[in-house]
Amino acid sequence: MAKAREIPGLEPDLSYREAAATTVSVRAQELFDHAEGVLDTSEIERVHDMRVATRRLRAVLEIYEACFPRKALRDVLGDIKALADALGERRDPDVHLAQLEEFAGAVKEADRPGVEVFAERVRAEQGAGNQALAAALAEIQDSDLRGRLAALAASAAPDGPPRRDVDGPAQDAGPDAPSEVTP
Amino acid sequence: MKARAVKGLDPDATLAHNFERIIATRLDELCSFVPRALDPQRVKALHDMRIAAKRLRYILEVGAEPCFGPYAVTAIKCTRDLQDLLGELHDCDVQLPRVRALQDELRAADALEARARAGDAPDLDPTLASGTPNAPAWRGLETLRIYIEARRGLLFERFVEMWRELEREGFRARLQYAITERPDPAAPRSPSDNGDEPSSTAASAVQSDG
Repeated sequence: MAKAREIPGLEPDLSYREAAATTVSVRAQELFDHAEGVLDTSEIERVHDMRVATRRLRAVLEIYEACFPRKALRDVLGDIKALADALGERRDPDVHLAQLEEFAGAVKEADRPGVEVFAERVRAEQGAGNQALAAALAEIQDSDLRGRLAALAASAAPDGPPRRDVDGPAQDAGPDAPSEVTP
Repeated sequence: MKARAVKGLDPDATLAHNFERIIATRLDELCSFVPRALDPQRVKALHDMRIAAKRLRYILEVGAEPCFGPYAVTAIKCTRDLQDLLGELHDCDVQLPRVRALQDELRAADALEARARAGDAPDLDPTLASGTPNAPAWRGLETLRIYIEARRGLLFERFVEMWRELEREGFRARLQYAITERPDPAAPRSPSDNGDEPSSTAASAVQSDG
């Protein structure tokens, strides 16, 4: 798994807004850097790295939730969640297939037909997961997720564009959605 | 699992002020799953504890080193190891019902096959249940089930031991203390200079590790 990139310039007394802008920029860049070659099922670690990058990005958006305009944050979080779900649809079968191959290699010949029947199903899920991932990648391209993340990061900065709807927390964007912030 | 609300966040305050509050809440949230998650049957508690560990880990990855005392950096590895182990357990909990379902499906198909072989006979000849088409597959799946169940048990024992070790090390209290520290800009920072002496500003209060 790729190690989290260090966030330059973070220090205890830095303003929360400035930290939000920098952190989200770095984590967003990490996400797009890991997009290369993720549809290649022979290189399963790429999907894993991109999935972890989506988790890290979601986490920092939730951590700095109070610094962002509600609607823009909600929209971006929803899109990242959809991407993360698609990455999971590919990643889970990737992992299970690798485990099944290892298991089949270790057990007696008589036990292998059962493993192979199960593996066939998982391979079908992997194929479907790859299609879902291709669609999700096209969607983030079409909806300019990258540009919206850059705008979101800029809106958090103390000298960034004014925030329009700062009077409450973002709405729930899924089971891992940001917590309610009580200032 | 929805994350617990964090009180006292202020976008116009400092990074450390806000991170201290978030980490304290996420740490409490993680620890709140014990003792529930120490029961191997509490699958949901184990799954939610993994998510809590993930949330704590990701904020520590961003803020531990720049903002807090050395133990906060050590805690990154602790939470990552915990999350990874709980993730392996979760995989077993996801896989086992799928293997059972496939096995049941194949066995049911073989039962139908055996019945068809009997035709109009008044009772089923036991030999007709032998050599059914899916028998090699569901027998292999039985081995896989045993493997997953046994592995799950082993991983759960490791999880309990890992958590006990974190308690012995004072993980909760030390992290609570570390997030009240601020790094000394003049001192080199390393996770190995780990926590007996505060690196700078002393903590105002350390709660017990309960």
